[in-house]
Amino acid sequence: MTRTFSQSLMLYLTVILTLGLILFPIYWLFITAISTSAELSALPPSFWPSAPQWEIFSRVWEERPIPAWLLNSMIAALGSAALSMVVSVFAGYALSRYRLRGGHSLGLFILTAKMLPATLLVIPLFAVFRNLGMIGSMWTLIIAHSTLIIPFATWMLKGYFDTIPRELEQAAMVDGCSPLGAMVRVVLPIATPGLSATALYAFVLSWADYAYARTFLVNAPQNWTANLGITTMKGEYVTDWNEISAAAVFVAVPVIIIYLILERYLVGGLTAGAEK
Amino acid sequence: MAKISIRNVHKNYGALNVLKPFSLEIEDGEFVVLVGPSGCGKSTMLKILAGLEPASGGSIMIGDRDVTDLAPGDRDIAMVFQNYALYPHLTVRQNIGFGLKMRGTAKAEMDRRIDDAARILEVTNYLDRRPKELSGGQRQRVALGRAIVRQPQAFLMDEPLSNLDAKLRVHMRAEIGALHRRIGVTTVYVTHDQIEAMTMAQRVVIMRDGEIQQIAPPDTLFQKPDNLFVAGFIGSPGMNFMTSEVVGGNTPHTRIFGQDVPLHGVRPPPGNVIAGLRPEHLALGAGPVSFKVNPTLVESLGSEKYIYFDSGGQKRMRDHAEDETTKSMIARVDHSGRLDAGEEVTLSFDPAELYLFDAETGKAIGK
Repeated sequence: MTRTFSQSLMLYLTVILTLGLILFPIYWLFITAISTSAELSALPPSFWPSAPQWEIFSRVWEERPIPAWLLNSMIAALGSAALSMVVSVFAGYALSRYRLRGGHSLGLFILTAKMLPATLLVIPLFAVFRNLGMIGSMWTLIIAHSTLIIPFATWMLKGYFDTIPRELEQAAMVDGCSPLGAMVRVVLPIATPGLSATALYAFVLSWADYAYARTFLVNAPQNWTANLGITTMKGEYVTDWNEISAAAVFVAVPVIIIYLILERYLVGGLTAGAEK
Repeated sequence: MAKISIRNVHKNYGALNVLKPFSLEIEDGEFVVLVGPSGCGKSTMLKILAGLEPASGGSIMIGDRDVTDLAPGDRDIAMVFQNYALYPHLTVRQNIGFGLKMRGTAKAEMDRRIDDAARILEVTNYLDRRPKELSGGQRQRVALGRAIVRQPQAFLMDEPLSNLDAKLRVHMRAEIGALHRRIGVTTVYVTHDQIEAMTMAQRVVIMRDGEIQQIAPPDTLFQKPDNLFVAGFIGSPGMNFMTSEVVGGNTPHTRIFGQDVPLHGVRPPPGNVIAGLRPEHLALGAGPVSFKVNPTLVESLGSEKYIYFDSGGQKRMRDHAEDETTKSMIARVDHSGRLDAGEEVTLSFDPAELYLFDAETGKAIGK
């Protein structure tokens, strides 16, 4: 089917508008970082600084504990992604493959945790961690993030496992694998796109968190994540928005790099899981 | 290679009885086909035999070993699946060698056996490809390769040809037959296709609703069906069934197409029966019992024709139940000339070809 000129025009306008809406905040973040404070408060605003301050990035990197914050964010995100993946892979696989009495209801019940707003769970989680003497530990973030990730990741993976024919595991078992061996040697390698998409979802959810880090780690500055650390850069009387923006750019870069690496898996993983 | 003994194996899901007590002795090297319509329990039986599903009761011996409670990998069997079940992330070589690797076979021995299997099945040129790069027939060969490379006690095949197109299916059917003759491994083959069953099997097990209907060599099934279901299932087109009545006396006869047809060889008690007549036993032109019909449809297959005609008020039966949807009967006649629907023709049959079944139980009375 060939498109008419007006159809093409509408299509491109829609694409440009959508991209503009999505990308403009990122562009503005970047512009804010490299503009001077005077330019930031100028009206009308300028869309490209007259003298970009490229040195802002090296200055913020050296003067602020950005590397330590990024490392903490990375530990929390990788930790919660790893923990949630281990749990979700087994839970999703069990929901997909085994018919248990009340299994379906149990599966749906897991999802109710996802339906509650994260802020609602902060208070009970805080109480639990305080009683266990864990407040200030990185484990609080890893565990709390996992409670958010696991319900959705379990269902995402169940949907993906459902698309993999059972005969593959049966063939593996006839070939000499145990049920666990069939899962590890056959199902998981085939499910790589789904696993990648789910792991990325887990990583991003943890990386983007502020509320839990603020609640559990506020009195442990050595464990601050990047998102929590950046908010402390806001002064009581003076705020250097360009410094905050430069720090925010550093936070955005790892996620963008991981997206670019996993993009081909992500598209396949999300669509295949969505078929069910 | 080994003989297989299946003794009183059954399967229930709660109150639902999907496989009624099933017993079968399979000789060493025999090719047995389980056939029946969807939901008849044939695949369930095969999965129980493979250890992929637990039986609710009964026992299975492969060779001298009781394998009833053994895991699939410990039964020394190989299975070929309907959708091939090739591991998509592995190459053909790795697929064929997977079972050997799981059993810790030495690399050199593994390579030798993979190469042998690949040569037998003519997939040597594809050993480094992945399954998605192969055609349906090639995939099926790889699946067979994965089975034969292990040199198991038995092959189990679950509708392995049903995903192939008609032409390839005929070709692969012959290849599987040839493979069985070459390596002689005991084979249990499941299909819903009666032609596969008839052409490949040494013995056929016909199943329906979880129950064995008849176990016999293909020709016996065709010539001496035990009941209405077997008679209707085997043969294409299926046997024509009609309600009728046996009238007693010294020369018992039954009334078909408005004529009294004497019964030869059997002396059933007077009463209601179901008469069966295979479409190929109806001939064009006059014969021992002749009758005129107006064909409602004529299908030409070149050298032969299928003539559909109204049974003239006599109820047509199908699958042991009155079929209200069609009163049509079929004759399969050798005729390459012109024949049109609505043009009156004479058909005939030999009373010796008539099958009789008990109207109540559906059991064969005789022919």
